Amino acid sequence: MGKFLLLAFRNVFRNRRRTLMTLLMVGGGVVGLLMSGGFFAFMIDGLREHTIREGLGHLQVFTAEHLKRDEVRVLDTGIPNWRQVAATIQAGPHVRGVAPRIDFYGMVSNGAKSSVFMGSAVDPVAENSLGFTPRLTSGRDIGPKASGETEALIGAGLARSMNVKVGDGLTVLAVTSDGALNGVDVDIAGIVKTGYDEMDARYLRISLASAQRLLQSDRVTNLVVGLDDTANTDVAAAALAPKLQGLQQPMVLKKWIDLATYYLQVRNMFSGIFLFLGLIVFFMVLMASVNTLLMAMFERTREIGTMLAMGTPRAWIVALFMLEAILTGSLGALVGVLGGNLLGTLVNLSGLHMPPPPGLTVPISFHVLHIPALMVGSSFIVVFSLALASIVPAIRASRLPIAEALAHV
Amino acid sequence: MKQIVNVQDVSRSYPLNHSRTRNLVCALSHLYLQVEAGEFLAISGPSGSGKTTLLNLIGCIDQPTSGRISIGGDDASSLSPGHLTALRREKIGFVFQTFNLIPVFTAAENVEYPLLIQGMSSQERRIRVAEALESVGLTARAHHRPDLLSGGERQRVAVARAIVHRPVLVLADEPTANLDTHNATQLIDLMRGLNQRLGLTFLFSTHDQRLLEHTPRIVRLTDGAIESDSHADAASFQPPAIDPFPLAQNQMA
Repeated sequence: MGKFLLLAFRNVFRNRRRTLMTLLMVGGGVVGLLMSGGFFAFMIDGLREHTIREGLGHLQVFTAEHLKRDEVRVLDTGIPNWRQVAATIQAGPHVRGVAPRIDFYGMVSNGAKSSVFMGSAVDPVAENSLGFTPRLTSGRDIGPKASGETEALIGAGLARSMNVKVGDGLTVLAVTSDGALNGVDVDIAGIVKTGYDEMDARYLRISLASAQRLLQSDRVTNLVVGLDDTANTDVAAAALAPKLQGLQQPMVLKKWIDLATYYLQVRNMFSGIFLFLGLIVFFMVLMASVNTLLMAMFERTREIGTMLAMGTPRAWIVALFMLEAILTGSLGALVGVLGGNLLGTLVNLSGLHMPPPPGLTVPISFHVLHIPALMVGSSFIVVFSLALASIVPAIRASRLPIAEALAHV
Repeated sequence: MKQIVNVQDVSRSYPLNHSRTRNLVCALSHLYLQVEAGEFLAISGPSGSGKTTLLNLIGCIDQPTSGRISIGGDDASSLSPGHLTALRREKIGFVFQTFNLIPVFTAAENVEYPLLIQGMSSQERRIRVAEALESVGLTARAHHRPDLLSGGERQRVAVARAIVHRPVLVLADEPTANLDTHNATQLIDLMRGLNQRLGLTFLFSTHDQRLLEHTPRIVRLTDGAIESDSHADAASFQPPAIDPFPLAQNQMA
């Protein structure tokens, strides 16, 4: 077996120029996959952490009722005893903090013009402790506790349409939990960009106390839980779920992945693109290799005839050709992995940025992650492709009529 | 004497222009030939007389259109392709006109190849390869690749490869055709020496007069049929003086 492997290995380097070209082709395919896959992974990882840090949190706690039906009146499916629930969660493993939230909507007016908004009421102290900081384009975040009760952040699009700026006043109008109309006056402390144009045109953020006063309720919509590390999400969820069972009202714990619809859509899209790229590389290597291997077989016709004449089993000839292809693929993959990592490192050091994609407003850093699974997967694709490409030449070689092969010039 | 090759009423026709049924060319016609163990037999004849076809059939790398061929007692005509492969592997050694060494293997590795495909242990292989290379006087060139060997050396490696697994029959197709006179003479001496010293049966095609002078039995083919089968009387056959160990002793010296 050792000699057979040696024969295959030496055959790989028999025609060095052609082998070099094949290695470059295979390696180029791997580099392409590593670069695109590494960049996609960076984007997906970035989007995941961005989604979590932007306010989604690692876990969210709702009443079971909230997930079963839509609210008839604001906060009628909210958490009534949320401080007790928050304290229970806070004692759990890996929990960094708990932030109560209220989702609501209504109208906002500057006296001359009104517009609808989608509001989020937060506890600024809890939010800041979890690192959920809004992306301000001007001004500052709403102040902690009492000082922030008359302040608001609004989206850049909403500020533009309402023609307001930091320091201006607005009246926020909403329907209370009793069904009455209520309003509070707020000062604009800052203008934010969410990263999404549609959201910026509707976004309003006020303090939890302001919202509870506006909505005439001491409930909250949900509790957002921040963990020490995203990787601990499953462990923390498993530990917290039983604790929530013992509470007065049935509660439900949701992981970030269950709530991050946009993240999942983007991830699926990138997975689809990467699969497509993988298929292109697979077929590119397959087609080019079939040609190369057939050429190699043709050149070695007499040698194959000699081996068959000496009594080499035909299966050995098939195995030899496939082994050579697998060795070529493995060496090409090695070249690709080394080249891909080198190129990736250079790209990362260069600090390149890409223009913002549709729907986003900030440029994306061009960074490539070095992912071992991607290296293994890309290598497998090219090795498998070459092995597949070798089947036809290998079988043709093994079926050569010996006398004809020996007479081949 | 034990019969090694028995060719019985063998014919071989080839379709002309890859046609399956029409325009058949008859390469061999109703041929009979028996070769006994230890013979040193030349098949001679002009180009196209059927020498290579006959060797291919005896070497079981081609199938006769009709007739039967037995090799070392095995009826090759009735064997499956797998058994024919095994028969070639175990009972026949081949020497080709163009040497046909595996270019990426060294001389020793080329000689080792027939043992490798027989599944012999590495220790046994080493011993056999050393013996075979010594018998052709190439011990010192064992680790050279074919492209670093002369034509004569390459053909001697091919002979070592053909005998290393101790076959019952060595087939050589025009073994001296690509060699100059000096190397051809050395090869002839070598083959005849191996034939006499080890009792190996050699069957080769040639129209090289130098080789024919050393050959006690010459079968002449013309147009696919045996024109003559001349056995030199053992008593009267006086081959030119040959050294049964020409190269090994030279090397030792």
